[in-house]
Amino acid sequence: MAELHLARDLEDKRVLDRNGREMGRVDRVVLEVTQNGAHVTAIEIGPSALGSRVHPVVGRVARGLEILFRLEEGRPVRVPVERIERVADSIKIDLTAGETEALAVEQRLRGFVRRFPGA
Amino acid sequence: MSAIVDVILGIVTSIGGFIEVGSISTSAQAGAEFGFQLLWAIGVATVMLAVMIEMSGRLAAVSRHTIDAAVRERFGISFQWVPLAAELAIDTLLLAAELGGAAIAVKLLTGIGFLWWILPIGFLVWLVLVLCGFSVIEYGLGLLGLVTLSFVYAAYRLQPSTHDLVRSLVPTMPHHDIVRYMFLSVSILGATVSPYLLNFYSSGTVEEKLTEKELWVNSTTAYLGICFGGTVSMAVLVTSAMVLGPQHITVDSYDQAALMLVPVFHRWAIALFACSLGIGCFGASVEIALNAAYAFSQALGWTWGASKPRPDAARFSSVFTLVTIAGVCVALIGFDPLRLTMISLALTVVIMPVVVLPFLALMNDSRYVNKHTSGPIGNTFLAALTVLGAVLAIVVVPLEVFGG
Repeated sequence: MAELHLARDLEDKRVLDRNGREMGRVDRVVLEVTQNGAHVTAIEIGPSALGSRVHPVVGRVARGLEILFRLEEGRPVRVPVERIERVADSIKIDLTAGETEALAVEQRLRGFVRRFPGA
Repeated sequence: MSAIVDVILGIVTSIGGFIEVGSISTSAQAGAEFGFQLLWAIGVATVMLAVMIEMSGRLAAVSRHTIDAAVRERFGISFQWVPLAAELAIDTLLLAAELGGAAIAVKLLTGIGFLWWILPIGFLVWLVLVLCGFSVIEYGLGLLGLVTLSFVYAAYRLQPSTHDLVRSLVPTMPHHDIVRYMFLSVSILGATVSPYLLNFYSSGTVEEKLTEKELWVNSTTAYLGICFGGTVSMAVLVTSAMVLGPQHITVDSYDQAALMLVPVFHRWAIALFACSLGIGCFGASVEIALNAAYAFSQALGWTWGASKPRPDAARFSSVFTLVTIAGVCVALIGFDPLRLTMISLALTVVIMPVVVLPFLALMNDSRYVNKHTSGPIGNTFLAALTVLGAVLAIVVVPLEVFGG
C-alpha cells in the first residue's frame, strides 16, 4: 500500500463495507512500532475507541456502557490494514458490516424504532 | 422547470420559516424599547446569515459533505467534540424555548396555562419527525409559516416613515439604556445567526441531492429567501415600535407582545399573533430536534436522513427522540419561556466562534469546495462574524446580568 498520512487519509474518514454500507468512521488507528519505525496494522470503529481519543475517561465510560448493555463482544471493531480496499473520500473495506459488530447498536435499536408509528 | 419550482418553493418557505421564538421576542423588545433604532442589527444579522447559508449549501453541493461531517474529517474528533457538545446543549435549550413559545401560543388561544401544552406539543413534534420526510418538514412547515406575513401587512398598514426606516439601517447609539441596547443587538444576532441553521441547511442540500451544477439554485434560494425572511423580522420590530412603544408597553412576556397586532387586526389580532408564534416555534422545534440528530449521526458516521425509513436509520431516529424528550423535560421545569429564550440566544453567541472558525477553514479548502472557495467578501464576513462572536461572547454575560 502506498504511504498514508494518518490524520489526513485515515483517521475520522467514513468506513464503507464491501456493499457500500456505512459502518461508521475510523475512530482509532492501531500502530505497531518496530525497529524500522511505526506501521499501521489496523483501524478501529466504535465508541470506546472514539472516546479514548477525546479523553481516556470518556473511552472507559463508553466501554462501561457497552458492557452494561452487553454489546462489548467484538467491539471496537478492528479491521486489519490488509482488508482496506481503497482509501479515498471514504475508506472501503473488504468485509461486510454483518461480519462485524459495527452495526450492533443500530440493530438493537431497530427493534425499538420499528414500534414507532408508521415505521 | 423543476429547478425554478425548487427556487420559488425554497424562497417562499425561507420566508415562512424565518420567524420563531427568538426573532419574535428580540424584535418585539427592540421595537418597544428603542423604536426603529435597532433595525440595522436585524439587517446586518440577516445579511450574515444569508452569506453563511449560501456557503453551507455550496459546501454540501460540491463536496457531498455536511458541515459536521466535514469538520469531523478535517479537524478530527479531538477538536470536534467541543462544538458538537456545545451544539447539542444549545439545541436542547433552544428546543425547550421553542416548545415554550408554541405552548404560549396555544395558551393565548385557549386560556389554559402553557405548561399543560408542553407535553402534547412535544409529542406532535416527535410525530412529525417520525412520520414526515424532509420535503414535508421543510416545505410544509415553511408554507404554514406564511401566516407570519401578517406582521408585514401590519407594518405596512401602520405607514411608518420611509425616511426613518432608512435612517435606522445605519447604527446609532441610543440616548438611554446603552447596556440594554447592546444586549438586544447581541440577542438579535444570536436569534438570527443560529448555528443549527448552518448544518441543517447543508444536511437539507445533501438530502435533496443538489449538485455542483445547481449552485445557482442554492445561492438564489439562500440570498433571496433569507433576505425576504429578514423583512418579516424587521416588520415585527416596526409594528412593535409603532404600537407598543408610544404606549410605553415593554415586552416582559409574550402576552404583551401579542398586543402589537391589535390596531390593525382588531379582534383577530391575538389569534393571528398566536398562530404566527405557534407555527414558527413548532417548525423551529422540528428543525432543531432534527438537526441534533443530523449533527450527532454525521459526526459519528451513522446512517442518517429524514427521507429514510426510520428503522433504516435507527440510531438517527433514536437521537431525535431523545433530544425531543430532553427538550420537553427542560421546558417542563417551567422557566419563563421569554427568559429561557434570551439565555439560549446569549449562549448561542458564546458558541459561535467554535462553529464559525472551522467552517471558515472548510470554505477555503479546495479539497472540499474545489474551485468554489469563498471570495474575499465571504471570507471577510465570516472572519468579522467570528471576531464579533468572540468579543460578544466575552461581553454578553455581564450584559445579561446588568442589562437583561
